[in-house]
Amino acid sequence: MIRVAAAGDLHVGPEVAGTYRTRLSALAEHADVFLVAGDLTRHGTVEEGRVAAGELRDLGVPVVAVLGNHDYHSDAEDEITDILRDAGVTVLEGDGTVLDCGGTKLGIAGGKGFGGGFEGRCASDFGEPEMKAFISHTKDFAGRLGAALLDLDADLLVSLTHYSPSADTLEGEPLEIYPFLGSYLLGEAIDSAMADLAIHGHAHKGTEKGLTSGGVRVRNVALPVIQHAYAMYSLDIPARVDSTQARERVSAW
Amino acid sequence: MTERDMADLPGYVSAHIQEKLAAQAYELGIRVDVRGDVVHLRGEVVSEERRREVEEIARGAAQGREICNEVHVVAVGAPDDEERLS
Repeated sequence: MIRVAAAGDLHVGPEVAGTYRTRLSALAEHADVFLVAGDLTRHGTVEEGRVAAGELRDLGVPVVAVLGNHDYHSDAEDEITDILRDAGVTVLEGDGTVLDCGGTKLGIAGGKGFGGGFEGRCASDFGEPEMKAFISHTKDFAGRLGAALLDLDADLLVSLTHYSPSADTLEGEPLEIYPFLGSYLLGEAIDSAMADLAIHGHAHKGTEKGLTSGGVRVRNVALPVIQHAYAMYSLDIPARVDSTQARERVSAW
Repeated sequence: MTERDMADLPGYVSAHIQEKLAAQAYELGIRVDVRGDVVHLRGEVVSEERRREVEEIARGAAQGREICNEVHVVAVGAPDDEERLS
């Protein structure tokens, strides 16, 4: 069994430095890994990145994070990524990592992701260059997420994004903003790789539990949703289809 | 031509308050409803200081309306239990 702690939308800044960390004192006792689903900062400054790194440094468990839209706001996402990595945090952006958790290989692939909307109610790669740029950002990411998940040699596969791969976990948000909260393209990538769990944040008014169209469990771990410093999930180790078979299924589309 | 006083149109007032909250407080998830002479704020932030900041920014764009601040600070204690996914 693997125990995954997860949280998103920490939105730390100098005025709350150290506060979040005090809530993580028991983390190493209960969890094999801590996944952070983006929006570590309030508006993406280097100073806030340093505060975020301070909250997540030396927690006694591996910390794997992705950035969120707030972390991009000041165009310092690369510096924030470096600061987090210097603090020992694995930061994913369209790639993956495998952790050895007591002999079980936990594969995590992820990145920020992006919006576009969900089946039948989504933006299309059509029209003005601005609209095409919007959707191609999501499509590019979804392609990299799917490839990264399929590439991992692991017993359990977890997707970690900021934007949502499922409309289920947006329930509670206004319908009109769903296209800015996630995309079915992320869900499609997760389903094609037959991931075991998909973690995301971003939708503060959403719902914790949902599913992709393919039945993968999705959990929205934005702090205002989970109402705790992190959520805990334990995963049984399944007998899994190997990635070669999953690839064959994808190529048969 | 007479220019219309946009302060009379609550929909625009709430939209502009939300713009200000995004630009100055970096808060995108605050619901703003204008009802008569009162601007109602709802949502969650991570600290009391940000709750007050949201209120002050909203007041600056509220065109003299009263502010009813129902934003609350999200609780972040350690979790009580775990969910088993089998």
